[in-house]
Amino acid sequence: MRKILIVEDDPILRDSYHLILSSQPYVCHVAENGKVALDMIKKTNYDLVLLDIMMPVMNGVELLENLDNLDEMKSKIVIMSNLSSGKEIERTQELGIQQNVVKSDTSPSQLISLVRLQLISR
Amino acid sequence: MSISTKAKTSTRHTKTELQHEHTKTLTELERYKMLVENVQDYAIFFMDPNGYIQTWNKGAEKNKGYTHDEIIGKHFSIFYSDKDNLDKKPEKELEIAKKLGRVEDEDWRIKKDGSKFWANVVITALYDDDHVLQGFAKVTRNLTERKANEDDLRSANALLRSQQKELKRLNDSKDEFISLASHQLRTPATAIKQLLGILLDGYAGDLPEPIRGFIEKTYESNERQIALVNSLLKVAQIDSGKIILNREVVDLNAVVESIVKQYTGIISDKKQTISMKLQATPLYAYVDHQYYRMAIENIIDNASKYTKEGGSITITTETVNGHARTSITDTGVGLAAADIPTLFEKFNRVENDLSHVVSGNGLGLYWVNRVISLHLGRIQVESELGKGSTFIVEVPIGEIDA
Repeated sequence: MRKILIVEDDPILRDSYHLILSSQPYVCHVAENGKVALDMIKKTNYDLVLLDIMMPVMNGVELLENLDNLDEMKSKIVIMSNLSSGKEIERTQELGIQQNVVKSDTSPSQLISLVRLQLISR
Repeated sequence: MSISTKAKTSTRHTKTELQHEHTKTLTELERYKMLVENVQDYAIFFMDPNGYIQTWNKGAEKNKGYTHDEIIGKHFSIFYSDKDNLDKKPEKELEIAKKLGRVEDEDWRIKKDGSKFWANVVITALYDDDHVLQGFAKVTRNLTERKANEDDLRSANALLRSQQKELKRLNDSKDEFISLASHQLRTPATAIKQLLGILLDGYAGDLPEPIRGFIEKTYESNERQIALVNSLLKVAQIDSGKIILNREVVDLNAVVESIVKQYTGIISDKKQTISMKLQATPLYAYVDHQYYRMAIENIIDNASKYTKEGGSITITTETVNGHARTSITDTGVGLAAADIPTLFEKFNRVENDLSHVVSGNGLGLYWVNRVISLHLGRIQVESELGKGSTFIVEVPIGEIDA
């Protein structure tokens, strides 16, 4: 089964995304900040990482900057943030992340479509 | 004298010419003397080989404050500051003039009353034919005003630079504020959207009526909140002047075809029809594809919102006076003439039959108008209350051949 990592500090969203994606044939893991996610990415080979930006301890940009295998991972990362502009978003683009979704524009069914599309395109 | 008239005349003529020449030589010397003595803007005077002042003109008196009688025979070091004299600057300048023929300096000099003036000084060494030093000519210009102007300009420039820096900082912090504020405004709405979405999508089992209806209404209300944040962000971005159009040659017919295809389903759900009347040849214009499309979509959204069931929307393209024109005509509620002038103002909403049931935040047309203005185009509205409206968008075709 495809493995998905949800990196999100807001517990409501983290649990919601987990609930929604667990209804599909995926293995879903969650991390509450970039630091936890960094350790998990080192141990598990994820097919998709949904990455929030604004998080305590280590934010999404810092996670990207700390990834040893960013080149290999960058096509498997989708930024899911409520930031749609500004220097953090620009930085993720500089780091090579092309997929960027605004959370407030993504309904549960759109989330499922998005994930399905991402996994098909591999 | 028995000289022929002709010869006589000729002689007289020559004599007169000689006389004239003679007077001319004299007046020229006098003229030079008068010129030097009367020049007001330059201090011009002669000094002996040791730097003692021998002549004095009006300009010298005006700029340095000494009268002729006061200064003749004084050493020119009197014009230098105590520090310059301690450094033997006057003597050094004469030495340089002696060696190189001239010396030029720009610095503060002292007037009789002790005040300073900013001077440009040229000292020229004067040698006779046997190369014996006869003295020096000194020409001094008072540049205090120019110096003050230059200093003013410099400080004005520095002020401008610091203000520019401050403006950039403010602008950056405003941009930062806008992006963070929209993030913070979206966060609670996102949680509501997910939780209600989970309920509506049946993750917690079937929803009985009337609960489903209430939740759907809450979900829609939250969607309006999210759309408002998105609109505010779009307007803030376009108002900040940060939008850089990525213009290219685009066939507007193709844009309209694609939009109509996308909208056909949505429009028929509302029991309306959408059709197009396109110019037979491609309608090329120099636009930002994405922004132009978003602007046209925005107008079509409005047309559909303010048109009742059974109504129709028609999109026409044509070339008019070097402009690519896209017109969106609906059979909707229309606009009163009095409402048209303020239609494109921020947060403006027109009261009509449908405005209470239709959602809108009064930012859409403001944004559309800004986008079309950025394209150097314009929007016109023709409407009749109860009959429908036509929004006419024109952008210059311009630079296509280039």
